[in-house]
Amino acid sequence: MEAVKRALNRISVEQIKLELLGNAYNSSSTFLGRLDPRTLLVWYIFFAIVPWFVYNRTVLLGMFAIMVVTTILSRVSPYILFILCLGLISQVGWLFLLSLFFGGGIESLLPMLTLTLKLSVISLASITVFSSLDPERLSDGLSSLGVPDVFAFSLSYGYRILPTLLEEFHQILLSFRLRGQRPLRHGLIYWRTATYYLRIIVLVFYPLMLNTAKRSRTTIEALETRGFTYGLNNPKVKKLKLAYLKMKISDWCFLSGSTVYIALLFWFGNQYPNLLY
Amino acid sequence: MRKTVLELNGVTFTYPGAEQPVLRDVSLQLKQGDFTAVIGSNGSGKSTLCKCFNGLIPHYYTGDFSGEVIVSGQSAEGRTVAELSRTMGYVYQDFENQLVRPTVIDDVSFTPLNYGFADYKERGERALELTGLSEVRDEFVWQLSGGQKHLLALAGSLAMDPEVLVIDEPVAQLDPQHAREIYEILRRLNVEHGKTIVVIEHHAEFIADYCQNVILMDNGSIRWQKPVREALSSVSELLELGIYPPDVTRAAWMLNPNPLSVQEQYPMNPEEGRSYFISQHRAVEDNNCSMFKDKLCLVEESAEQKKEAVVQMEGVGLSYRTIHRTLHPVLKDVQLELKRGESIALIGNNGAGKSSLMKLIAGIAKPSGGTVHVKGTLINGLPAERLSGIASYVFQNPEEMFIEDCVRKEIAYYLKARKVPDMDERVENMLQSFRLGELAERDARLLSGGQQRRVSLAIGAAVRPAVMLLDEPTANLDISTKQELVKVLETLRSHVETVVIATHDMQLVAEWASRIIVMHQGQIIADGSKEDIFADEQLLRRAGLAQTQLMELSRVLGLPRICCTLEDFIVSAELQKEEVTHHGSC
Amino acid sequence: MSTLKGRYTLTQSQKMMIFVLSMSLYGLSNMFTELIPSVQLGPIELSVEYFAFIPLTLCMLFHPLYAAVGAAVGEMIFGELMLGQFGGLGELEKFITFSLAMYVAGRMVSDPKNRMQVGVAAITGVAIHQFCSAAVDIVKVWVGVEELEAVQGLTESIVVIEGVGFLNNVLFSGILFALLPTMYLVPRLYGKIEPLLGMKPRERNMKYATGTWLSPKLVISGIILAGIAMGAELLSESGWSLGEFELPGAESNEGMLIWVSMLVAAIVAGIAITIQIRRAARKRHEAGQIDA
Repeated sequence: MEAVKRALNRISVEQIKLELLGNAYNSSSTFLGRLDPRTLLVWYIFFAIVPWFVYNRTVLLGMFAIMVVTTILSRVSPYILFILCLGLISQVGWLFLLSLFFGGGIESLLPMLTLTLKLSVISLASITVFSSLDPERLSDGLSSLGVPDVFAFSLSYGYRILPTLLEEFHQILLSFRLRGQRPLRHGLIYWRTATYYLRIIVLVFYPLMLNTAKRSRTTIEALETRGFTYGLNNPKVKKLKLAYLKMKISDWCFLSGSTVYIALLFWFGNQYPNLLY
Repeated sequence: MRKTVLELNGVTFTYPGAEQPVLRDVSLQLKQGDFTAVIGSNGSGKSTLCKCFNGLIPHYYTGDFSGEVIVSGQSAEGRTVAELSRTMGYVYQDFENQLVRPTVIDDVSFTPLNYGFADYKERGERALELTGLSEVRDEFVWQLSGGQKHLLALAGSLAMDPEVLVIDEPVAQLDPQHAREIYEILRRLNVEHGKTIVVIEHHAEFIADYCQNVILMDNGSIRWQKPVREALSSVSELLELGIYPPDVTRAAWMLNPNPLSVQEQYPMNPEEGRSYFISQHRAVEDNNCSMFKDKLCLVEESAEQKKEAVVQMEGVGLSYRTIHRTLHPVLKDVQLELKRGESIALIGNNGAGKSSLMKLIAGIAKPSGGTVHVKGTLINGLPAERLSGIASYVFQNPEEMFIEDCVRKEIAYYLKARKVPDMDERVENMLQSFRLGELAERDARLLSGGQQRRVSLAIGAAVRPAVMLLDEPTANLDISTKQELVKVLETLRSHVETVVIATHDMQLVAEWASRIIVMHQGQIIADGSKEDIFADEQLLRRAGLAQTQLMELSRVLGLPRICCTLEDFIVSAELQKEEVTHHGSC
Repeated sequence: MSTLKGRYTLTQSQKMMIFVLSMSLYGLSNMFTELIPSVQLGPIELSVEYFAFIPLTLCMLFHPLYAAVGAAVGEMIFGELMLGQFGGLGELEKFITFSLAMYVAGRMVSDPKNRMQVGVAAITGVAIHQFCSAAVDIVKVWVGVEELEAVQGLTESIVVIEGVGFLNNVLFSGILFALLPTMYLVPRLYGKIEPLLGMKPRERNMKYATGTWLSPKLVISGIILAGIAMGAELLSESGWSLGEFELPGAESNEGMLIWVSMLVAAIVAGIAITIQIRRAARKRHEAGQIDA
């Protein structure tokens, strides 16, 4: 499978490291990226829950419009948007095809369009918000909204440890490959090669588990000497850490703007519930 | 009278499940402003001892603990690790795992933040300044070099402004110049800021140059605690425990092994060595050594002439992409030919491109320009599975090579994958050659450092490659294990055509290499025999390297040539002595 | 915490170690599975859904709760946030169902050396997770589409799609990437990985030290397991009979649908309650640990 090969080539340590970390920490340049994380999270929670319970197509369309605007503002990478569209289309597409099979007609398309609209609003909201928050600010935002500190810490620790883990994974994979033997023939639709690679990827985790276990031990021990548990039980520390979070004028503008827009939208939607179809 | 910052009284500790205690009745005192080295062979309880200081033992490692630890005049009993750590910085041997935040500034201010210091940012900045890391404050931890990471771990502890700093092997993975830099920083912290510093250290030269006191651990108890000169002069006692005092000291001892009087102690560095040796054999003359001048060194060289080339690199370049999406060249237009039977040492400072060069030969990395041939096969872009018979690469961290659950299977993996007919025989042969017979059924991860190295070499050699490439094979080994490794490297010669070692360890280079390649900023700046390279002090300095004590000593003593091994030096010195007595009797 | 505790109780740091270990490993694997392309054969997708063997193995070897939660957090951080695919609240449901399934699987194993037991637990774990997520997906459509029953064939399609996905994931991913690797890894790692973390291996044939906080959970898990098994039966049955009422028999269709949806709702509610109770218990437990 050429695709497998290509995917494996993409798992070059350097590539992933740069792509991921570069993207993660490059967000503070956008308008949304400069907002307070709490603003964004509150905003997000609204748009993640409410659309589920709205059946008014005009309102949904209006929400979709604002999502498009924020998505543009946050400069989401086209690749991610493409994946999103593909996912939505295939999901709803299959649903539609199968419902035809079970005796549905073209009329079942419309309710499904509504569903698609809802899903897009929700997905776009999450993409906008989470691509605008770098991991540090996200974890601080979450922790100020009451998410357990261990989770907030794990989040940024994940970014710390990822390059190391990838490096180690890569080295062990290399050991397997250098000392192993790839199948001499690719087999039908490359199944031999694909199986070989999948098998060693699974096998790599055996040494990796043992090595990571050793690493975790030192890390946790060091956390202890670095006062982590001490800080965890000390509300003062949390306050100190989050002291830099400030609601600025732009935050209030953003929030009140959105509120006004949504209020108008609901009013308008009630007036013309069937604007679209 | 300086105040006592730390006191241990009759501490005994047993790890849960272990039969023997790791610490037996240990008592010691550290005074404020001490710079103390803890020495001892592997497994003598050095790290365990240091973990008592900040309460990791017995609070974190639950086990049978008795005795008393007194920190700054107060008993440590009933105080938590976090509490004790406020005044005690600890830098681990695997310091990388101690860094838990993504960026430098976040990591360095992490500890003060956890303790609720409002000025945590400033503390972080100050610590970065002390360790010279201010320039990289906004970088990601993974972008730092090994040395910088180590400094960052140190800075992380410094941010708390602790009274005592404990550092487990500060220089294990550094080139000699960076190692000196770390020690200079430690000295400054000690002298200017009055910090008490404890290091666990294998390198006696650093102990000689920087430490004031030495604690010798043996089998879980403290044998003695002495001032550094007295400590290092106990040569025979140390050697018995597998600890090697500085070469100069050993040389002096070998020439004069009789117990010394109290005032007269052995020299610890080349400068002292100079005056010592001159006063010992007053009339050393420069030109009376001609008779043995050529004898030793030229023997090995004679057979080097026309040999088949194993590796040929032409116009090879390599660059990496950085986070700013620019290309960073690590190798520039390298031309190189390695011949059959050579023992090649690749030296240069951290980041000079040594590992990259070896990875190119091993085919692990693809050159961005030029060609690499090994045994006539073009290897750029060959899949890894096809390369291993040609070149085998032994990683710096042996654990990354362990993919099976026992030593025998590790060695057999390659042969099994290829269904080599005489597999069992070959595995057996490898186990014998590398003295792994008794360890064959053990898990390689659980072996000691030296044993792990041997396994990794055996894995590489089982492939029977044309070229074997070793990345820092002596990093993290104590000196006696290192000596043993040099012997193992000799074994390797019979299995492999050409061996390349990238290393910072000048002693290893001096004792083992037949050809030295010096790298600097991605280029080869020198290529020659030991004598050529080691005589050129400027070259060494430029490449971030340092002469070994013996080389320096032979230079300051004005010996006719640079001596590489201790035996070599003794022979020279003995001959000179005879010469002198001979002259005297005439 | 300074005294050595008996039985299988862990110190706070040991729990954290298990958490971090599970998080890093499963997170890393998740990154790869996200990148490995899938083979689409019509509606059936042959994809490497996840490397469930990692959390399964760790749950069986260590304390299942911390390993399970760690893995779920790892997936969220590495597999979603880092790849820019974080679905926000949608991930919460994944988080809950996944940690529940892994936890149950871990609890099912009393002797890590017993391959049979390990295998059964592994496949059960995957099945529970896949079933829960299928149920949640159905509920989503049910909530998202107004007057679901008015649309011809939609209900059937959802059930079919989710059913096929369920079977595919259990039979393909489940066997290849959960069952087999787990059966290979658990006995091999048992007794070997624990000392590296500085802890004693779980004793063989030891049920968990059923301390005060554990026993209710055991019961609840059991009930939920039974409920899920029953639900699976009912749902698949009703799914097929729905197919038979293809023609305008809206009446019976509706009745069936109400049953299905009520069942699903009950299961989801059950899960939510368990999680709540467990959370609370953990908080209490941790608080106790800290005080100690």
